Amino acid sequence: MKKLRSLFTLSLSLFLLFAAGCGGSKDAKKEEAKVLNIFSWADNFNPQVLKDFEKKYNCKVNYDVFANNEELLAKLQAGGSQYDVIQPSDYMVTTMTKLGLLEKLDKSKMPNTANIMDKLQHTTFDPNGEYSVVYTWGMTGIVYNTKYIKTAPTSWNDLWNPEYKGRVILLNDSREVFGMALKKHGHSNNSTDPAQIQEAFDDLKTLAPNVLAYDTDSIKQKFIAEEAWIGTMWSGDAYFTHKDNPDIAFVIPKEGTTVWADTFAIPKGAKHKELAEQFINYLYDPEVSVKNYEYIGYNDPNTKAASLHAKSFIEDPMLKTAVDQIDRGEWLTDIGDAITLYDKDWTELKTIK
Amino acid sequence: MQKTWRSATLAAYTLAILAFLYLPLLILTLYSFNDSRINAVWTGFTLKWYASLMTNDRVLEALTNSLIVASITTVVSTVMGTFAALALHRYQYRCRTFLNSLLYLPILIPEIVMGLSLLILFSQTGVPLGKPTLIIAHITFCLSFVIITVGARLEGSRDDLEEAAGDLYATPWQAFRYITLPMILPGIIAGALMAFTLSIDDFVISFFVAGPDSTTLPLYIYAMVKRGISPQINALSTCMMTVTVSLVVISQLLQMKSYHASRKD
Amino acid sequence: MKRGKLLVVPAMGWLSLFFALPLLIVVVVSFASRTAYGQVVFNWTLANYIRFFEPLYMTIFATTIVTALGTTLLTFAMGYPVAYTIAMILPKKWQQAGIILVMIPFWINFLIRSFAWVIILRSQGVVNTILLHLGLIQKPLTLLYNDAAVLLGMVYALLPFMVLPIYVSLEQMDKRLLEAASDLGAPPVTAFRRITLPLTMPGVAAGSILVFISSLGMFVVPDIMGGAKSALIGNIIQNQFLAARDWPFGSALSIILALLALVMILLYYKALQAQKGGQAHAKNLA
Repeated sequence: MKKLRSLFTLSLSLFLLFAAGCGGSKDAKKEEAKVLNIFSWADNFNPQVLKDFEKKYNCKVNYDVFANNEELLAKLQAGGSQYDVIQPSDYMVTTMTKLGLLEKLDKSKMPNTANIMDKLQHTTFDPNGEYSVVYTWGMTGIVYNTKYIKTAPTSWNDLWNPEYKGRVILLNDSREVFGMALKKHGHSNNSTDPAQIQEAFDDLKTLAPNVLAYDTDSIKQKFIAEEAWIGTMWSGDAYFTHKDNPDIAFVIPKEGTTVWADTFAIPKGAKHKELAEQFINYLYDPEVSVKNYEYIGYNDPNTKAASLHAKSFIEDPMLKTAVDQIDRGEWLTDIGDAITLYDKDWTELKTIK
Repeated sequence: MQKTWRSATLAAYTLAILAFLYLPLLILTLYSFNDSRINAVWTGFTLKWYASLMTNDRVLEALTNSLIVASITTVVSTVMGTFAALALHRYQYRCRTFLNSLLYLPILIPEIVMGLSLLILFSQTGVPLGKPTLIIAHITFCLSFVIITVGARLEGSRDDLEEAAGDLYATPWQAFRYITLPMILPGIIAGALMAFTLSIDDFVISFFVAGPDSTTLPLYIYAMVKRGISPQINALSTCMMTVTVSLVVISQLLQMKSYHASRKD
Repeated sequence: MKRGKLLVVPAMGWLSLFFALPLLIVVVVSFASRTAYGQVVFNWTLANYIRFFEPLYMTIFATTIVTALGTTLLTFAMGYPVAYTIAMILPKKWQQAGIILVMIPFWINFLIRSFAWVIILRSQGVVNTILLHLGLIQKPLTLLYNDAAVLLGMVYALLPFMVLPIYVSLEQMDKRLLEAASDLGAPPVTAFRRITLPLTMPGVAAGSILVFISSLGMFVVPDIMGGAKSALIGNIIQNQFLAARDWPFGSALSIILALLALVMILLYYKALQAQKGGQAHAKNLA
């Protein structure tokens, strides 16, 4: 008994020592360097790009991750800004601006941000582009498997086809699902009109029997493994899915859709503001962005980089669809109190068997 | 004869349940050798995830953080929890209902609420977020589990032995060390196992109280979900599982050997 | 000897400081309301509590309780024999290894274990492929994204919370009692029902409570295994904080959930105590 315990303790401490050794040696070297604290989505950068930046500016990059905009907001509101660069999505930029959580950006210190395509310079969530710059963007469209669906869908209404019973997947996000139904009826995806929301809700109830699952995170796997035939998906995810299953196709429905973006922003009171500006500027350097976006697999908003990218990346059908049809998209903005209306209907939608 | 038949049935049932527990682990071991970037379908055999895991500082750092936090949490919450369980078992307290509520409520409150309330507490008192706050939070949610588990052991155990020891002029410490502790040791080990298990896999509470440079493995994995969890995590899990299972088996074999050796003497 | 009474202080002090104190904040927030941008304003309203009584939330609450009860019963049915085998049948020197082997799967991240279940159960998954090959079914069964899958996921997640406490109380049982029963001609089933089960009731109680409570707040399992189609109260609470940004309503729901669960636990212990009292009475009569 005693032996077992001491052995267990011994092996555990060995394990810890080994692990601490791995983590520790690296820190010691860069003790004197400046530090940049990034708070972002996981896997959102090419790690090589971060390493190059560390080298060029003689600093250490701390890269922490969140999984949800609201988590980011809660952390930021709790105060004591420990981060220098954050990556809120579109509507969250509006919210954070309204709550006074963001620092105004000095774009003269980030000349490379002028390389961003025009349509992403002025957005409804940050009209003058004062608080954020778009980093990744894409559109919500219909993804489908050509093996099972012979005629290409053109309208959101195609999801309602009774032949697709139990084969449809919708994004697990109330704004996306209601936005889709609102668009189908010709309304704005930011509607706060109770009558319009009710109309969308009544329609969604009739879609429920078709729905196999609501899923945002592992939706790619469901299409690659052909659990689902048709559904709503973001263009960036469609790119991934298509790579693993060539039968996958992606269209933007004629009624229009949601366009989304993750941005760079600097929180109020950031301790390493200058380094943060250098970082943002660095990422829009054409050559850096080629390296970065081909790794992460999202549309590159950098106009100067277009000619440098591999042809297969620029002409990828999934990514190209979004670029060609960006005018059909409408940004999501913070809709204030109406969110409680969405939430209640959303909850009720989930209880329909 | 009937007895062996019964034991065999029970053993078979237990093995079936163990298979149920290990089946998903088998699948993820298999997929750690899968060529695809996304865990969806089998596309071919590869060892690249193991190779790239070795150079992925972020994953290894997250694993280190997780192990440090879980080890400290386990020790502290097991010691405090055991003492509390002993005291609660042995003495009458006038504020019993209050103590019981304090004991059960941490399990009852949804994790997200506990995480947020701790975040508010720390930010209001100006405590910077990091590993210490992470450990404080973990101890908080593990304590109740330890107390309840050790308590289950004490319930129906014999109190008279320690009293007898007292009658024989043993100091309270001696009575505890030589009578009570060995008696409740399995309960303490079970409590410690539970604390370790809870801590190593906690995500929701950890998220709110973690600061820069204290990302744990679950935090890292949950954040990866949006892009698709990298098969490196499967590789890492396979390694962790192999290491822990072999540790158990080796220590068991060593123990058997020393057992036989001591029998020969 | 009274000094020993103070042993409870570190743990309870810790819980008061890091649990009860912050919880007071939550209680206060539950009486507040939200602004258009989701900030909390304190205006002492009962609206959040009244909202709970809408049929929509009551239905979800009832479903949650039923699911939690089902999970508790199933983990008991699966966990007791496992704990029994390890404590009573396995040789003493193997017991510790046995219990650790049961725990090891739970050190691997829960999320990726859940995704592994999806690979096993999906329409082109392991189970369906095998059944199709054997010719037992003609087209794939729907094993995922329904209530049964949610139940399976919950049982899988919570089994150790049942096994550990039961193992602990079985292990300390005086086995001579069973020999005595057998000597007196009691068949094993009777001995189990009259001796083993009652004596391990504290472990069963602790296990059931841990499982029942933990399953009330689950939200990852319904999302992954249930395809986010069956909302449980845990999902609704999660949504208030991570989508609707309605912290006051989320706080109120959490407090109602906690209080109801607390009442259930107290009733459960009362019932257990009454049963114990009854047995003692029967013993006295004999």
